[in-house]
Amino acid sequence: MKKPATLVYGSDDRPPLGVTVLTGIQHAGMNAIFLLFPLLVSREGGLSAHQIGDVLSLAMIVMAAATVIQAYPLGPVGARLFCPAIYSAIYLGPSLAAVKAGGMPLVFGMTIFAGVVECALARILPFLRPIFPPEVAGLIILLIGLTNGTIGVRNLLGIGAAQPLTAVDLTIGLASFAVMIVLNVWTKGLSRVFCGLIGIALGYVAAAALGRVGGANVQALTEAPLVNLPGFAHLGWSFDAAFAITFAVAAVSATTKAMGAVTSYQKLNDAAWVRPNMRSVSGGVLADGLATVGAGLFGSIGMNPSASSLGLTTATGVSSRRVALAIGGIFALLAFLPNVAMTVALIPRPVIGAALVFTAAFILVSGLEVITSRMLDARRALVIGVALVAAVSIDVFPAFFAGLPTGLRPFFNNALAFGTLVALVLNAVFRIGVRRRQRMAVDPARIDADAVHDFMGAQGAAWGARRDVIDRASFNLTQSIETIVDSCAPEGPLEVEASFDEFNIDLRVSYTGAPLELPDRRPSNEEIMASEDGQRKLAGFMLRRYADRVNAGHKAGRSTILFHFDH
Amino acid sequence: MDLREDALGDIGVVEILGRIDSTTAPTLGERLTGILGARKALVLDLRQLEYISSAGFRVLLLAAKHADAAGSRLVLCGMSPKVRQLFDLGGFLDFFAISASRDDAIAAVR
Repeated sequence: MKKPATLVYGSDDRPPLGVTVLTGIQHAGMNAIFLLFPLLVSREGGLSAHQIGDVLSLAMIVMAAATVIQAYPLGPVGARLFCPAIYSAIYLGPSLAAVKAGGMPLVFGMTIFAGVVECALARILPFLRPIFPPEVAGLIILLIGLTNGTIGVRNLLGIGAAQPLTAVDLTIGLASFAVMIVLNVWTKGLSRVFCGLIGIALGYVAAAALGRVGGANVQALTEAPLVNLPGFAHLGWSFDAAFAITFAVAAVSATTKAMGAVTSYQKLNDAAWVRPNMRSVSGGVLADGLATVGAGLFGSIGMNPSASSLGLTTATGVSSRRVALAIGGIFALLAFLPNVAMTVALIPRPVIGAALVFTAAFILVSGLEVITSRMLDARRALVIGVALVAAVSIDVFPAFFAGLPTGLRPFFNNALAFGTLVALVLNAVFRIGVRRRQRMAVDPARIDADAVHDFMGAQGAAWGARRDVIDRASFNLTQSIETIVDSCAPEGPLEVEASFDEFNIDLRVSYTGAPLELPDRRPSNEEIMASEDGQRKLAGFMLRRYADRVNAGHKAGRSTILFHFDH
Repeated sequence: MDLREDALGDIGVVEILGRIDSTTAPTLGERLTGILGARKALVLDLRQLEYISSAGFRVLLLAAKHADAAGSRLVLCGMSPKVRQLFDLGGFLDFFAISASRDDAIAAVR
């Protein structure tokens, strides 16, 4: 991995303890909001206030463990990245349905089942590389940003809230947003690193001072014990085959989101990133699946990597894995201090919304960068475009998708999961008929310069290849044909063959005629100007230098040059 | 390849569109020699240049030599990252005077 200039602390860097802890607090504050999901299911399951406290305490311990294991893998488990875990909205719908049918034991049992499904999928991911090309990974990153941004706007404006927001609430949210932007754009050092935390803290303080922090929840906060050892009395597990499909679908959905999230964290940490590292993706998804198993065992709902933390990491530039230890420590501590945890959970919605919108901007742009790094023909443009429209339609037309059969709803209740699924299916379908190897014959007596020049461009777009590598291959093809025709007296057509897999582009030019000279040394400017021989040597030198590997051969009057480009 | 020519007093400006290869390079060479003979400076705008082969580099080297001999100046400008990479590949970035934009190039030769 090559640390990008935008990161202050990369994956393996060791920030000062203060920076590590404060960054951990920042992420913990943002991710604690997702404890709302197990809280909602627990309330629906009729648990007492004390039992709900136990649920939240155990849920935080699982969050802590899941965050640490992603950063510090055990064997094949873990992405080896700072990639915090949260409770996932993907499992909220299925869990609420299960709790109505079979109470909390069914939720916990089915959550374990979903985790096992995700673990099984993680093990076969390395074999699925062709269905998960970089532009689809880029789309998923884009959708994560879009989803976060949408959730952020919903919270910032109080859309769908039980109590409509006042002008004061909105002002507090917008002021938090402005603080984050100002600190991030116009300052450096610690104020940039902690822009999210400072924005959230100022918003929280302002909301508290103006009496805009939470009602009944404040009462629960004051009644909560200072220290609480979590109990296990509420735990129990059951399985119902009628829910197997629903939770399996949710697991597939969670898997695709985890794939995209781990890929995003990879890109964030590596300036030289060109494609998903499937080993790390597989390890990350396996850890996510095991976290969901753990969540089921200890009485919560399914988990996923945090997209909010991804945005915050991008914005602050602190991506050290040591922050995972800080988050783990913070949640492990909060698990025994229920009132502190509740204080965090009471951060006003507009303030959280501001932070989500702020961080979403960075994720969105990161996704766009990945998509546009690849050449896209009509097929690939359709994969990206249709999947994006499909994802957006989930949030724009929720009533339509809510009318679908219950078993299918997990596919359609999350824009990210649905968009990813559409992209993966379309990508698999559009692979039909795309040749990995393409040939062209060039008549030296009638060279169609446009056709030669466009050949690699058209193939690159069909393959979804990197634009920079195709540019190099295109130059080598054009320059080699030009030089062969000018100086090697070819008889009959030149045969060109280009082949591609995700790691290699090979370009072979063969013809009957004298071999092309490919010198290691650059001719001097005087040699180049003195004669066309110097010009030919320059051509050979450039051809050799532009390819990652060159093989030239001459046998029975037939010459062949193979240009290899790493991809 | 197409050439768009302009003049600002003693400064000739030529914008090159398309590709410079062994077919088009001789035409370019003749034109550049002609302009350098008549002006004290020549700005070559490469904004719309898509491709340049070794034949094109040779023509540019000869034009630079001609400019030196005639006491005039040759400045290149507006290279896309792709074309700049080719200049780097051929080892020409340090040889030619290169400006970011046409305005910068004109200011440099005035």
